[in-house]
Amino acid sequence: MNGYVEAGYVVVLGTLGTYGVALAARERVARRRLGTASSAAPTGTSAKADFPAQAGEASAVEHRAVEETEPGSGP
Amino acid sequence: MSTPARVLPQDRPAALRVLGATALVGVVATVWLGLFVTPPDQFMGNLVRLLYIHPPMAWVAFLAYGVATLASLLYLWPRTRAEHFDRLAGASAEVGVVFTGLTLVSGSIWGRPTWGAWWVWDPLLTTTALLFVLYLGYLALRRVPGEFHVRARRSAMAALIAFVDVPIVYFSVEWWRSLHQAPTVLNPTTHKTYVHGSMFWTLLLGFVSFTLVYIWLMAHRYRLARLQDLEDVEGLEVALEERRAEGDAG
Repeated sequence: MNGYVEAGYVVVLGTLGTYGVALAARERVARRRLGTASSAAPTGTSAKADFPAQAGEASAVEHRAVEETEPGSGP
Repeated sequence: MSTPARVLPQDRPAALRVLGATALVGVVATVWLGLFVTPPDQFMGNLVRLLYIHPPMAWVAFLAYGVATLASLLYLWPRTRAEHFDRLAGASAEVGVVFTGLTLVSGSIWGRPTWGAWWVWDPLLTTTALLFVLYLGYLALRRVPGEFHVRARRSAMAALIAFVDVPIVYFSVEWWRSLHQAPTVLNPTTHKTYVHGSMFWTLLLGFVSFTLVYIWLMAHRYRLARLQDLEDVEGLEVALEERRAEGDAG
């Protein structure tokens, strides 16, 4: 074989491996940060406002509009 | 109203782990077959071994941009508009950019001993480089601050515009006189393969394995995007609560 072939495999596999590990690490950090923020977050906010993605993936803006119409949920 | 328990995306679900393990096994098998089992080519010699990874990189890049375009269309269509389509588009495009970069680099490494140059301004290479830059621009546009739906809508429009270059890349070898070879895996007329024996199966395994790698990477990128969106909402809520508390104290 020649050096070009090995170089090609090293670059491709190395890049994909590094990218995959970086994604997994960033995900772990984000998860940890959210866990920390969750324990420190003030109470009194609604589930919809906190997690728009879990309520039918609709937007936070749309959820606020819905909440405003709910009796007793206003500020 | 009390705050319910936070439900984050499941930490490393079993399906994703199985997918990752399968992709890893497939890639290892491709590398083993490509480097040690398959014979040298009658014209290219050992350089043919680079072709077990180079065309799969290009295929995955096209697939990733196709998924990003479809997700963008679904986001733009009012009846299907949902945040997860925007996240899917962003995740797929980012992985596509990685694979496009690897297509360019692996092709360049193959081109140096074959053509005698790391880079030539061939139509296929040039349009592929343009594709890379277009989607880098798309990713940059996604980072421009703004209200979620405004940002998502303009990103979706940009994804549709960028995708115009994909068929141009694919057909460039037929439309213009090109140094790069035309598609040589399947004969478009007879639908029979030009590649034989273990070389064909290794190439096929490469296509399947790197497609699985794409799905695994894209799934992780999507999950990361969702966590980042949750963080943004959380940060906003905390800031609002602090302002309310300041107002109450005042």
